[in-house]
Amino acid sequence: MEGFIIALFVCMVLALISKYLSIPAIPFYILAGIVLGKAGLGIVQSDEISQFFSEIGLLFLLFFMGLGLKLDQMLADPSKLLTAGIIGLVVDMGIGFTAAYLLGFSLMEAFIIGVAFYITSTAIVITTLIENRKLMMKEAELIIWLEVFEDIVLIIIIALLSSGDKDLLFFFLKIVLGLGILYVISHYGKEFLVSILDRDDETPILFTFAAVLTTASLAILFGIPDTLMVIALGAALATTDPDAFEQHARPFKDVFLVMFFVFFGVTIDFASGMDLYAIAILCLLAVFSKLISGMLIGLAIYGSALSGLEIWANTISRGEFSIALAVLYGSAVVGTVIAALVIVTTLVGSFMAKYSTSMRRGIVSHSRRKALVHRPHNSGR
Amino acid sequence: MSPMALRSQNLPGVGTKYEFKTDKGDTVAIFFTRTGTIQMYTLQKGCKTPSAAEMTPVEARRLGNILTGAIIEADQESVEVAFSALADLRVTIHTFYIPKAIIGKTIEDLQIRAKTGATVIAVSRHDHNIINPSPSFVFEDGDAVLVIGESDQIKKFESEIMVE
Repeated sequence: MEGFIIALFVCMVLALISKYLSIPAIPFYILAGIVLGKAGLGIVQSDEISQFFSEIGLLFLLFFMGLGLKLDQMLADPSKLLTAGIIGLVVDMGIGFTAAYLLGFSLMEAFIIGVAFYITSTAIVITTLIENRKLMMKEAELIIWLEVFEDIVLIIIIALLSSGDKDLLFFFLKIVLGLGILYVISHYGKEFLVSILDRDDETPILFTFAAVLTTASLAILFGIPDTLMVIALGAALATTDPDAFEQHARPFKDVFLVMFFVFFGVTIDFASGMDLYAIAILCLLAVFSKLISGMLIGLAIYGSALSGLEIWANTISRGEFSIALAVLYGSAVVGTVIAALVIVTTLVGSFMAKYSTSMRRGIVSHSRRKALVHRPHNSGR
Repeated sequence: MSPMALRSQNLPGVGTKYEFKTDKGDTVAIFFTRTGTIQMYTLQKGCKTPSAAEMTPVEARRLGNILTGAIIEADQESVEVAFSALADLRVTIHTFYIPKAIIGKTIEDLQIRAKTGATVIAVSRHDHNIINPSPSFVFEDGDAVLVIGESDQIKKFESEIMVE
């Protein structure tokens, strides 16, 4: 328990520092976990309490993602999003998977690393777009919708991975039944739900907390993935009053998700036979793969490499979802790789996002200067 | 997009975006973000990079007041005072320059208190002030009035009396 309190206190200080420097806090939380945990000082151990808190953090992260899934408001031009989304999926997952497989990871491990390569951190990407005042640039809207596209891909991947070796038909019947129940509750109970959310006392927040945990435990009881059902719960409740649910779920998400990040760091064990060299290659490739996919998207959608550069600069950071995958399906080695991946990409990503505008300006003025130098020469003839 | 067409859009995770193009081809975009701040971008016609300002809700409201023409004085447009000892009594004091429409009319003609609940407590005219003007007080061009009341009453005063 003392370890838990220490971790909490360290996180609070780190949160303040990261807000002051306006860089994402996620890498600091993981680093704090690594320093305090198994791989470092060994002050903080993962125990039942911390595992419970981490689990709640993960559930609320997924619940939030579900709340944000308003598919009816998809981009005006869905074909653009689809093109960009598929380029990202193929390029990033392809590079991640191939590289990991060639470096000696098993097929399954390579697949998880590939997905971790692909899924960016919605939280970091959106926050940096806002903080760097880039919402109006033409690539911003596409980047924002790409985050939603990634969420959908992630849901499909979770569904595929959790189906595993079970009786598929029965498994999917149960999922459909679960989704049906959630739909019925949110559709026919809408007025009741809204009346609860409108209250001033503790009931809305209690209800939100209970809804998420009840759904998760019922899902486990019936042998269907709790992760999927919590996302579905979010999506179903988003049809009632998503803003109110967000407001009531936020405190739980904020606190427990931080615990989730820290204890992910705590459980990382450098002794589990890993190759520093391989990790370094994967981290570099993670930055590089987004450059390739960003460039291709920029050229395909806007016909401009500069747009590609901007897309790259704002989508380098991997974060919460990559870690979630590591926790849910990854081995210890995969966990270490993804921890390194998240730390490196978020730090590089926040730097690039901050300076992409001046980088762009530099490139433009450089090419303009070149054009000026060349023109009198040509016209003189 | 036709000029002045206002486009609003929900961006997942970000908030609501409002955008419109002016007659001259400049673009203004406002984002009400989830973090509670409001970002305003302006993009001059022919330019590639917009400039941006980030505001708190209070600052945004102040800007809105300026743009709607309600506030002429830059500094003391509105003050709200709360008296916590008196059951949290809140009064707002607001300055307005009178519109052309009410020149020559009296406070009684306009039925200010009956219609809005707010009270004109002072009028500033040519560098001198008239405190507690009587109901028969006649407004002249260039008068600035100081109005006191609850914030709802002030809003009502603004919408009912301060119209062109």
